[in-house]
Formats: sequence, structure tokens, C-alpha cells
Amino acid sequence: MSVQTRPDRRRSAKLPAREERRRTVARPTPAGLGATFALLLCVGGGVWAFAELQLNLATVVDSAGNARDFLERMLPLQFPPVGELLDLTWQTLAIVIAATALSVLLSVPLGLLAARNTTPGGSVRSASRALIVLARAIPDAVFAIAAFRVFGLGAMTGVVAMGLHSVGMVGKLYADAFEEIDEGPRDALRAAGAGRLQQIAGAVLPQALPSLVATALHRLDINLRVSVVLGFVGVNGLGYALSNAIARLDYQEAMGIALVVLLLCFAAEAVSGKIRRSLLREVAEAPRAGVLRRVVGRRLAARTGAGRHEPVAAGPQGAGTRRRTSPPWDAGRVRRAVVTALTCALVVASGVRAGISPDALARGAESLLPTIGDFLPPSTGGIGDMLLENLWITVQIALAGTLIGVVLALPLGALAARNVVPSPAVARFFRSLILLVRGLPELVLAIVFVVVTGLGPVAGAFALGIGSVGLLGKLVADSLEEVDPGPARAVLATGAGRGQIFFTAVLPRAWPTVLAHLLYTLDVNIRSATLLGIVGAGGIGYDLLNAARVQQFDVVTVIVLMVLAVVLFVEGLALWVRKVFA
Amino acid sequence: MTAAALVPGRERTDEDEVAVRIDALTKRFGSGAAALTALDEVSFRIGAGEIVALLGLSGSGKSTLLKHVNGLQAPTSGGGTVLGTDLATAKAAELRALRRRIGFVFQQFHLVDRLTVLENVCTGALGSLRGPRLGLFTYPRPVREAAMDRLDRVGLADWAFQRADTLSGGQQQRVAVARALMQEPRILLADEPVASLDPESSGQVMRLLRDVATQGRLTVLCSLHQVDVALSFADRIVGLRRGRVVMDVSTAGIGREEVMRLYREVGADPEDPGALPHHGGGAG
Repeated sequence: MSVQTRPDRRRSAKLPAREERRRTVARPTPAGLGATFALLLCVGGGVWAFAELQLNLATVVDSAGNARDFLERMLPLQFPPVGELLDLTWQTLAIVIAATALSVLLSVPLGLLAARNTTPGGSVRSASRALIVLARAIPDAVFAIAAFRVFGLGAMTGVVAMGLHSVGMVGKLYADAFEEIDEGPRDALRAAGAGRLQQIAGAVLPQALPSLVATALHRLDINLRVSVVLGFVGVNGLGYALSNAIARLDYQEAMGIALVVLLLCFAAEAVSGKIRRSLLREVAEAPRAGVLRRVVGRRLAARTGAGRHEPVAAGPQGAGTRRRTSPPWDAGRVRRAVVTALTCALVVASGVRAGISPDALARGAESLLPTIGDFLPPSTGGIGDMLLENLWITVQIALAGTLIGVVLALPLGALAARNVVPSPAVARFFRSLILLVRGLPELVLAIVFVVVTGLGPVAGAFALGIGSVGLLGKLVADSLEEVDPGPARAVLATGAGRGQIFFTAVLPRAWPTVLAHLLYTLDVNIRSATLLGIVGAGGIGYDLLNAARVQQFDVVTVIVLMVLAVVLFVEGLALWVRKVFA
Repeated sequence: MTAAALVPGRERTDEDEVAVRIDALTKRFGSGAAALTALDEVSFRIGAGEIVALLGLSGSGKSTLLKHVNGLQAPTSGGGTVLGTDLATAKAAELRALRRRIGFVFQQFHLVDRLTVLENVCTGALGSLRGPRLGLFTYPRPVREAAMDRLDRVGLADWAFQRADTLSGGQQQRVAVARALMQEPRILLADEPVASLDPESSGQVMRLLRDVATQGRLTVLCSLHQVDVALSFADRIVGLRRGRVVMDVSTAGIGREEVMRLYREVGADPEDPGALPHHGGGAG
């Protein structure tokens, strides 16, 4: 930068003398320098974390022996008896479905209160937004720890924990969906004298419905993946069986169950992905899926049916005759009705299996305040230094994991972008590869790595690294494909090669988005690194589990706040960097 | 409405005969130096059953005026009486009750794309139903049958079970008219109902509006920006310029050119109403 102290010479003046060296690089801005520096710091942090966690070739080679050993101990895979396995699977699914349903039930009103266009007032809106942010900030494992106090060991704890945490994402996306609707139809209902709730039911909900359903399905996927971790804190189901198997060093069964979880996740992803895509496409001829249809009695018949003015009732069949007022039972309607009925049946069955009862819910509501009281005021419990140290390790795990992810995901993502590689087949191949990796739940990965490399941060970093490839690879490929093809064609026309086109016309344009995705991945990884600690992958998550075991709930609060502070810092950084490079 | 209603100077105070009375209505947006006067001391009356076209350049206050007539906006000063409801003093519930008796047709139709045509029409009855409704079958059967009748009226009964977004613009506007008819309105307000339609559909929609208005003896106030359409549609034309009523004439025996003067700067003082035809229509 010191070179830049000379005043710039105007171009319009005569050409600068040769020795004056005309500027060919733009003068750097302080913000740009700052952001670059911050990014370099992140990368440096990642590299340094690598060294610190002793994530090097030697460790990997060391682990290779372990891995062989591990393979020997894990093969042949063993499964619990079929009946038990099915029961465990159904239990896990029931918890996940009921939890997602709970989050939807809570998120619809909360989202309506939090959306700019449907909220009754500014303060209500802020309060609802704050609740949503809070739900997102508290990991489901912490909700589970609290819910145990009320519901004890059992499915209900899992439902409440996952359901409440899910509100953080579902509630926010619902509020967004409500805000995105076209206000016109609502104005029309308002002009016709409809009340506030009537406007919302008549014009807001129908418009938002596809994205409400898509969000719920998306959350269902995520909940299925994280349900494993709840097993480690004591919620019944596949995760619980898995954690027990690991505890008794029965790797054959542990990996058998892990495989089942994996297949379950793949299946769920495939099904929900298909439905979500068709919802978002939503062909015009497919009318809405009436999820909440309800036939209401005729009590209003007298008020609305009778006494209308004659001129308008001049239909070909005349007034008075009963005529068709419901859509014909065509294939589409039959399909929708069947899907709706099956969905409702599944949700109800899940609720029953998970032991949800009005009784239990009332008990939960009753003990809400005392339970919150247990967690306040926050206290470090005299182990503040250790917590800071472990928080640092968690951050290192996240940095190292993200670095592994970036190194693998950037080339993979580029190879999966149709506008980068020469043949669509290559792009398809790498797309599928990324999708496959994306299907692997990080927690299962972490458990595998814990077994291979032993308890500790190395397992966490590797698990996150591979997990990041799935997330980041897809995001990178998408943002590369979204780039305007014009400049690439222009560069192609100058006779540039494929690599030159990529680096001059594609990558620079996608760069700000890619950068934002990188920081987003870091953000996600810090949250995940905390959870991974619970399954034994090092860092502050382990302290979280311990504090819960010895019922030091005030320490749990401190840990949550510490992680939250780091996450907020990274989010702020991401926002700023994005603004600078945009 | 008969031509007699347009005879200047005829006194009518009966609420039954005067559907809309606007008195010195002023609406300002913002405050201080940045304030924008959208409506400036607007006064006029519309007799029951009269069909009035509201003309004026964009920004002259047409939409704002319409929103005052059904109480969607509150006047800054002045006010009026619509179907016996005092606009300046009515409470929210009274305004809502008023809106139930006033149909409103929008330029952009404002149907819920994803719902069937029939359900869209049913939503017009919400004002007289209690509680929120979600899904066609939450409307009582008589409401659904009434909605089918309205669809017959606008010639779209065969489309009842299609999604609204599968219809053409003109058809969607006819569905919107059917929806408004569900309210069994006494007054029909329309805000540039054909501005985004092709000439043929626009002719259909305007004919439909005129037919339902004359058959149901509805009072109509319809903002338009095509003078020809206004002349063939309305009994009377009210012209707005910069928030003021500068023209108020019967369409009987008035020429296009005369109305077109509304859109030009007239004379030295463009705000001088005397420069434009002003028969003092309705009850002066």
C-alpha cells in the first residue's frame, strides 16, 4: 500500500513517462483491504487449526490402521432383530414427524404475527421475531435437556425438543412466505368487508400454501438427520440404540444401525425432494391440495342463501335446484384427497406413537416457567476457563472442517456446473456425487470418525469437512450456473480456452455469492461442531452434555450463549464481507 | 338512472335516492412541506342507480377517491355519507358493514391464482359469514350455489372448477365481478377495471358491468381512462384534476372533444372549473 502515496496522474494529461509506472491495479479501499484481511484470517485460522488439532497426513496414516481394525470389528454388520428394528425405525420416524407437525402448528400463528403484512402491531412483530430467533439459537439437544425435566425419558421429550428448535427455521421461512404473497386478493377481500382472520384464511394462506408445505418437508428431512443426536442425550429411537451400541463397543450393531439411519435419510430426501420440486413447479392445471378443508354446517344458510335479488339468479338451471358445487372427482382430485388423507393419518399415528396427549402438553405448559428458571441466571459453574478453551476447540474444528470442505467442494462444485465442464454427463456425474455426500448425515459421519480416529476433535473436523462438501458443493455449482452466460461467450469469441473462460468470465461473477456461501458454511459448521461434541467429537458440546448430566443447567445456558456469540460474530462478518465484495 | 336525476338544481335529500354524498372531502398524505394533497375539497353526489364514470389523468386522485367511498381510507377533513354511513365519524365495524354493501372491482382482478374460480367467487360472501374460511367446502352449500348463479350471470359457470390463473384476463375480471356480486351490493366501485385488458375483453367487461348495474339498480362509480368507454358506459362523467372536481356532466349530448379538454391544460388558470363543462350533476 505504501506505493500508493503518490498522487494519481490524470490520464488526460500527456502519457506518463515510462519510469513513472502507470497504475494498472485499482487503488485498494480500506473496506476491501479489511474484508480481504478478515478472509485471510479465516483461511489462516483453518490452516492453523489443522496444525493445532494435528490433522495431518501422519494422523490419517495412523488412523488407517485404526480404520482397518475398525472395519474388522464392524464387519459383518449386525442388526437388531427385524421386529425391534422396525419398531425403532417407526419410533424415530414418529418422533420426527410429530416434531415437524408441532413446529408447523406453532410456526403458522407465529409466522403470521411476525410477518410485516399480517402482524397486528410492531411490538407483537418484534416479540414474535425474537421468539423465532431464540428458538433457532438454542440447539435441539438443549431443548431436550430441558424437556427431560418435564416429560422424562421418552418420545415426548424428542418431539418437544425438535419441534421447538424447528420453529427457528420454519417460523422464519413462514413469515417470509407470508410477506411474499400478492397483496391484491387480500385488498379485494378487505374491500368486500371481510375481517382480518377472514382475509388471512381467504387470501394469505392459500397463496402461501405451497411454500408452507415445501418448508415443512424440508424441515422433516433435517429433523430426521439430527434425530440421531437426541438419542445420545436420551431420546428413544434409532439414535438411542446407536448410542447404546457404541457405549458397549458393539461396532457391528452400531454400524448396522448407522446404515439404517443412512438409508432412511436417503429415502426421506428422495421422497420429500420429489414432492418439493413438484410443489415449486406447481403446474397451473393442478389446483391446490386442500390440507385444511373442513365442512362446516349449514347454520349460515338462512343468512346468506335466501332473499337474494332476482336479476342475478338467472342460471340455466334456475334458482332452487341443487346443482354441482364441488369439483368433479377427476384423477387430480382423487390423488390430492388420497395424499391429504394419508398425510393426516400419518401425522396422527405419529402423534399417538410419540405419546402426545393433551395431558402431557398441559403438564409441559405448566412447568414451562419453573424449567426456564432452572436455566437462569447463567453461571460458568467455576469452569469458565475450560469452557473458553473448549469453545476455542469447537471453533477450530469448524474452521478446519470448513477448510477441508472448501478445498474439496470448490473443484467438485465447478465440475458439477453445466456451464463449466465440457460435457453435461460430467456435470451430472459430479452433481450426483455431491448429492450422495449431501445425503450423509454429519452425525453418522462423526460417529464413524469417532470410531476410526478415536474420540476428539479430529473426528469432528473430518466429519464436518465431508459434510461441508455436500452443502457447499451444491451451493457453488448453483451459483456458477446462475452466472450470466454473455461474458463467457464474449471471452470465448476472443479465442480463449476453457480454463481462461472459467477464470475470467465465470468465477469472478460468481465470486461474491460463493464467498457468502463459504461464510454460511462456517456458520453452519460452528453450530454443528457443538452438536458433534455431544457424540464425542470434541469441543464444547462435550461440556454441554456433561453439564446436563450433572444438572448444572445454568452452565448449559452459558455454553449456549457462548456459541451464540460466536455464531452472531460470523454472521456479522459474512454480512459485512458480502457487502464489501458485492 | 333516468336523465331526470341529472337535471341541475333538483333538490333531493332522501338518503334512499342519494347513494353517495361527498362533502368538501380533502385528503393529504404526509405532513408539513412534503404533504401531498390528493383530494382537495371534493364534493359531489351520486343518485341511487346512477352510473358515473370518473375520469382524470394518473395521479389526479381517482383511486384515492374510490377508496374513500368505501371507507378504506379516512379523509383528512370533510367527509360524506355513503348509504347512510357517515365516512368521517363511522367506527371500524360500521365501515366494515358499509363495505359489505359495496362491491369493488380492481384493475388487476386480485383473484387468488391458486384457488378455483368458484372458491374465489365464494370469498365475496365473507363479509356476511362469520369466521375465517379455508377451502371450498368451508362455505355453506347455499353460498356455493349462489356463487354458481353469479358465475352463470357472468357466463363462466363452465369454468367453476378451474384454477383462476388458467383464465384469460377478461375472464378473470368477469370472475371478479361475480365475486363482487356475491355481496349483493348496492354500490359498485371499479378502479380502472379494463386498463389491463385488450379492447375486445374490455368491451365485454364494460357491457357486463353496465348490465348488472341496470338490472340490479346498482349505483356505479367507475374510474376509467378511455373517454370513449366512459361515454358509452356512464350516465354521467365526473372529471378530476389535481384532486379537484373540474368537470361534472351528463353523457347525454356531450361530445368526445368536450370531455377530452379535461386532459389538457385549459386557459390561463387550469384550475378554474368554469373553463370546463359543469352541469352540477346529481343534486347540487
